[in-house]
Amino acid sequence: MAIGVKTVSRPAGDTSYVRASLKGLSLTFRHLFQKKWTMEYPEQTSDAEWSLSKRWRGTHRMAVDEHGKAKCVACGLCPQVCPANCIKLIPGEDEQGNRYPLVFEIDEFRCIFCGYCQEVCPEEAIHVGVHYENAEYTRDGFVYDLERLMRQTHEVSTLWDPSDPRGQ
Amino acid sequence: MSDLVRLTIEGRPVEAPAGTSVLEAAKLAGVLVPHYCYHPSLPVAGVCRMCLVEVEKSPKLAASCATPVAEGMVVHVESPQAKAARRAVLEFLLINHPLDCPICDQAGECELQDYVYQEGRATTRFADYAKRFNPVEDFGPDILYVPNRCILCTRCVRFMEHLAEHPVLNVSERGDRAYIGIFEGAALDHGWAGNVVDLCPVGSLVSKDFLHKARAWDLDKTPSICPGCTQGCNVTIETRDNQVLRVRPRPNPDLNRHFMCDYGRLGYGWLNRTDRIEAPLVRDGSRLVPVDWDRALGRALDLVRGARGPCVALVSPGASCEALERVAQLVGAGGGAGAFRVAKGDEIPLPGVPDLALRTERAPNVAGALAAGFTRDWDGAAARARSAALVLVLDEPLHGLGAAQAWGPMIYIGTVLPDEARGAAAVVLPSATMAEEDGTFRNIGGRIQPYHQARAAPGMARPAAWILEEILDALGVGVGAQA
Repeated sequence: MAIGVKTVSRPAGDTSYVRASLKGLSLTFRHLFQKKWTMEYPEQTSDAEWSLSKRWRGTHRMAVDEHGKAKCVACGLCPQVCPANCIKLIPGEDEQGNRYPLVFEIDEFRCIFCGYCQEVCPEEAIHVGVHYENAEYTRDGFVYDLERLMRQTHEVSTLWDPSDPRGQ
Repeated sequence: MSDLVRLTIEGRPVEAPAGTSVLEAAKLAGVLVPHYCYHPSLPVAGVCRMCLVEVEKSPKLAASCATPVAEGMVVHVESPQAKAARRAVLEFLLINHPLDCPICDQAGECELQDYVYQEGRATTRFADYAKRFNPVEDFGPDILYVPNRCILCTRCVRFMEHLAEHPVLNVSERGDRAYIGIFEGAALDHGWAGNVVDLCPVGSLVSKDFLHKARAWDLDKTPSICPGCTQGCNVTIETRDNQVLRVRPRPNPDLNRHFMCDYGRLGYGWLNRTDRIEAPLVRDGSRLVPVDWDRALGRALDLVRGARGPCVALVSPGASCEALERVAQLVGAGGGAGAFRVAKGDEIPLPGVPDLALRTERAPNVAGALAAGFTRDWDGAAARARSAALVLVLDEPLHGLGAAQAWGPMIYIGTVLPDEARGAAAVVLPSATMAEEDGTFRNIGGRIQPYHQARAAPGMARPAAWILEEILDALGVGVGAQA
């Protein structure tokens, strides 16, 4: 069955693309002289105008004490609170009789970056970081062990305002 | 019951026998009076001052653990005055208590933690003072004393003095310097000393065996019966990730009260053995070949049906009543008999509790085996096994009989496969340990007590009672076949 097509004839002024193209090009041309909104990542990662929020929750970092040892005392609260069940912790005892983590591993693939581990930590040891560049060549590389977590140098997240911790 | 006393606790009418403490009467009314030094199985000391309650017409607050009920008494547990007293006691205890809950084994089951959390105080008035510090002491084979956490309730001292009657602990020094001391040269090495770890309401006395192993909230708790000896103490098996990590006493006022011996407490290692039989095995020439349950049970059934002559059962007194009764039924039907043997050790009584001891016979179900018709004539049965038409072994390690013994056709039902059976068994059926099945044990006093499954059995292992019931059913004599 043939389809009937109704052809409407309009004036050339309405149907010509020349005017619209020129209008668009002029807008583009005007923007060459205006303030730039984009950043040339990865050559440039942050500047005065644009940086990650202090409350950004990225891959973890373990705080170390003045002797260079992890602050973690293996209390088991972070694996308990973790909703993604991504923290593996086996506690042990060192030569001085202090409790410390024999094994502390975070599977960053499983992690949902909720920040509960940082919030629950009584020793302020485990933190989520202000960090987003996590590329690895293997999947195994995303299971961060204790050494890896201690080696991280990026900023840690500020989950709450230190001057007003209860958000009042 | 003419000696019932009527009183009112928190507005609720209570009837309690004369001589009951107000604290126990409050329990009857469903009111928990916070307490540290009081323990139902220990003599009353009244030292913690935590259980203070307001009694009308009494000039001052009364320690409810040490105050007997009286006719017409009106007790207020949550009155402002009583609450203020408890707040003060808690603040007093917390002056020197370290903030080490994250590394404390008791965290999660600590009464100090619970009551402080319940009270809700967020700050301290003593932040400027240095806390008292004493180093951790080694008290004995399994016990560490952390003096900083101690609240001096003296439960441990009273247990060792009045229940174990082996007084090695004391309260040394006085005032804020007081701590639990142990006599020079003495150790907490009594066979029941491990109970002080359970009695300690805080994490001051900790078990070396359990130290740092798990947090209290990680553990799954299963009511069970101690498999250590014929006493049959009620216990709780505590597991995490299918591993038994700790065994603790379960209160039973008629049997073990709140206690269990160290032999039972620390003897759980075999429940976590990894060298278990995981699949049924049948003999193919010189080898044992893993097969599925249908084929293994079929082979076992052939052996049972083909047995012409007397059968012999060698059983373990650690098996459940259900399994033992079914073995007796199976072997008895063939005109045979069974025997068991049991490991022996020294009897270690707990003098403060009548009729409670680590018994000499170190298996939970000796009475159950005797009741099922098995005898102690082990040597006779082992000798008869050479010429028997069928030898049925139920989880008995057969040590001392030697691989060279010429056995009759053997069905081996067990958790692990000893070398003695490896060369002889025609069929090996993997069974569950007592932690992996439901069942009952009959203790030395004839008390039949149920225990429950605490962990999953490895591989294809099944409860021995299930295996035997399958065979009996196929023979047409089991409960299922009759139904």
